[in-house]
Amino acid sequence: MSWRWALARRVATLAATGGGGGAQAQRLLPTSSAAAGTGLLGQHHMPLASQIRSKVVGCRGAALVSSRWLHDAQYQVRQDGASRPQEQQDPFELVADELSLLANRLRSMVAAEVPKLASAAEYFFKVGAEGKRFRPTVLLLMASALKFPLSESTEGGVLSILADKLRTRQQNIAEITEMIHVASLLHDDVLDDADTRRGVSSLNLIMGNKLSVLAGDFLLSRACVALAALGNTEVVSLMATAVEHLVTGETMQISTSREQRRSMEYYLQKTYYKTASLISNSCKAVAILAGHTAEVSMLACEYGRNLGLAFQLIDDVLDFTGTSASLGKGSLSDIRHGIITAPMLYAIEEFPQLQEVVDRGFDNPANIEIALDYLRKSRGIERTKELAREHADRAVKAIESLPDSDDEDVLTSRRALIDITERVITRTK
Amino acid sequence: MSWRWALARRVAALAATGGGRGAQAQRLLPTSSAAAGTGLLGRHHMPLASQIRSKVVGCRGAALVSSRWLHDAQYQVRQDGASRAQEQQDPFELVADELSLLANRLRSMVAAEVPKLASAAEYFFKVGAEGKRFRPTVLLLMASALKFPLSESTEGGVLSILADKLRTRQQNIAEITEMIHVASLLHDDVLDDADTRRGVSSLNLIMGNKLSVLAGDFLLSRACVALAALGNTEVVSLMATAVEHLVTGETMQISTSREQRRSMEYYLQKTYYKTASLISNSCKAVAILAGHTAEVSMLTYEYGRNLGLAFQLIDDVLDFTGTSASLGKGSLSDIHHGIITAPMLYAIEEFPQLQEIVDRGFDNSANIEIALDYLRKSRGIERTKELAREHADRAVKAIESLPDSDDEDVLTSRRALIDITERVITRTK
Repeated sequence: MSWRWALARRVATLAATGGGGGAQAQRLLPTSSAAAGTGLLGQHHMPLASQIRSKVVGCRGAALVSSRWLHDAQYQVRQDGASRPQEQQDPFELVADELSLLANRLRSMVAAEVPKLASAAEYFFKVGAEGKRFRPTVLLLMASALKFPLSESTEGGVLSILADKLRTRQQNIAEITEMIHVASLLHDDVLDDADTRRGVSSLNLIMGNKLSVLAGDFLLSRACVALAALGNTEVVSLMATAVEHLVTGETMQISTSREQRRSMEYYLQKTYYKTASLISNSCKAVAILAGHTAEVSMLACEYGRNLGLAFQLIDDVLDFTGTSASLGKGSLSDIRHGIITAPMLYAIEEFPQLQEVVDRGFDNPANIEIALDYLRKSRGIERTKELAREHADRAVKAIESLPDSDDEDVLTSRRALIDITERVITRTK
Repeated sequence: MSWRWALARRVAALAATGGGRGAQAQRLLPTSSAAAGTGLLGRHHMPLASQIRSKVVGCRGAALVSSRWLHDAQYQVRQDGASRAQEQQDPFELVADELSLLANRLRSMVAAEVPKLASAAEYFFKVGAEGKRFRPTVLLLMASALKFPLSESTEGGVLSILADKLRTRQQNIAEITEMIHVASLLHDDVLDDADTRRGVSSLNLIMGNKLSVLAGDFLLSRACVALAALGNTEVVSLMATAVEHLVTGETMQISTSREQRRSMEYYLQKTYYKTASLISNSCKAVAILAGHTAEVSMLTYEYGRNLGLAFQLIDDVLDFTGTSASLGKGSLSDIHHGIITAPMLYAIEEFPQLQEIVDRGFDNSANIEIALDYLRKSRGIERTKELAREHADRAVKAIESLPDSDDEDVLTSRRALIDITERVITRTK
């Protein structure tokens, strides 16, 4: 087929240009709406170099879909001495420009309106534990992965405008999701008098609380208004449900009974509420805004849900292992807060006597050591990783079940979403 | 005109039956949707006695519109020794049955799956803690005041079903408004470190700050889901704006600069945000759901706005005077929290030296005494009452500007709404 020939030629061209342009080449050319606000001109005024880059990126995306070409491309590339991770598309880089736009929009909105709450603005798009801006990246990639193909005959005009409007609306979902996420972080930080740690003065507690509550409310109310402005009541419902789940999950965490602390089912439900619900509902919202069918929306939802679960499970493992492979080198913050996560729950299944140790609580660090000992002996860590892998696979399957497309951007984005699941599973911090 | 003759006869009949059944006679027969869920049969199966009562109530409503008959009716009635207050319709009684229905629905709407969250969320919806239910009363009366007249030829059927559906949706607005209101109360109590609310311990005192914040978020998200279910994006937008205004008002209150504390304009703006916006936007939502014109919607909005402002202004006065007419007997909680309200702002206009005292702050109770002294000498209290009266009059005018109707329910409800403005102005607690 002619596309394979074209592909081979382009890959060879890339190999020839070498790895130096790698990082730049990875950047998916932002859609006109991202690069120039709502400007429509961007699409027609791309510099020649960018055009080439986007073609290369696009083709590489298509190439990666074919495993044979994957091998060949990588082989070609490695022959040039460039390192492998550099040449692979960084999914986060794909949407980096758009993310900056969103981040600035959000920060300036908060800082302008209520200077006192400006410190809350700092939370936005903060580089997270995994080093990336996770949620908005996934949402923007999902939006691209779901793009309806524009036929070649359309020059621009109506369909282009509609596409830009849709993109902006989907960006709004990403912004709303971040606002909800940060609001929940702020409200989770609210302390009760019993939570005062040594050295925290009561004034700090009060002022800190007030600012947390107020800043969180501010963000939630802005999210409400932004949601209303989208004029889609189904989307309002989805995101409101996500907020409800966040609150439910946090309440589950702070009010677990002894019974419930042993239950893997309870733990997974709580994890869905606290971590996966927001990303899955916002993925679904992105699909709904694009007018997709219920099936496609469900697939988007499934991707988000499984990705979120996989993410949290690995997070739980890393809390024990940290960047090393060995146990006990992680921050152990979960266990210190008395939060029993998947690895420990699996270990209890194998060693019932561990239950008693857990019930004793972990104020005593000696008890932590004993529990870690059992965990080491058990297959808790492995089984958690296996479960995470399971969810990652389901996420991949959801993407693969999406309706076919031969649009390069679509294929690149889908590849990137799959890539993200891999990174979530294999990350070490 | 024959209606006057019929009226006189009915009023005489009422006088004859005496004041004993006064309280019962005041209850407006609930619409079928209130009395029997969504049942349509209610309207056709009214017991004879209720039919008579509703006629009497209806006519009394019509009678009161005519001041000559007002005098005559009251004269007739007083002749029987019944107290005036008893014979006058209690506007809150008019919708008492419907309110019970709403209260039950609300309790089921805020049920959460996590027990701790459930008890937090439903804390202020329990029997005894619902407050005066001011807002839902106003909204239900507004819904009745705006009823399209059904022509006599319709037997029931389609129009009746539609009317019931509309009523339920308008009831939903009342529920949503109450959820938003309680959510804001929960957060305000955390921000104010309040101990009591609605005569009972505040939730943050009983269950902690964090749970109060989470419960407020939960109620807000439930309100959003209920809003989305109405499927009307304009209404979603209105209520989202109300939520935003609540937060803005609270932020204004917490972060007032010295400049702003002196400004009556800033104070009135803050009062609109904190108190009047919710009721005005929900009144407007009620009108919009009924499909009214922009003019009518604006009138309902104006009613709510002026009613809310009048309410808050009198609230400010009562904080100084309490149930007595004399100053300084109120709870003085505003001034203790450093919140400068209308009476004090007016006093500062008359006595510029009071500004310096206000600037010093009120941690020192001696300073409070000095300020109260100035307030006593000034016309601060009187001018605030005058301003409240002004707003109450505007609210009345808005009702009187509504399109004519000769439906008894409509007239009764409009009369009740006017009555409420009077009660708001003349109340002593």
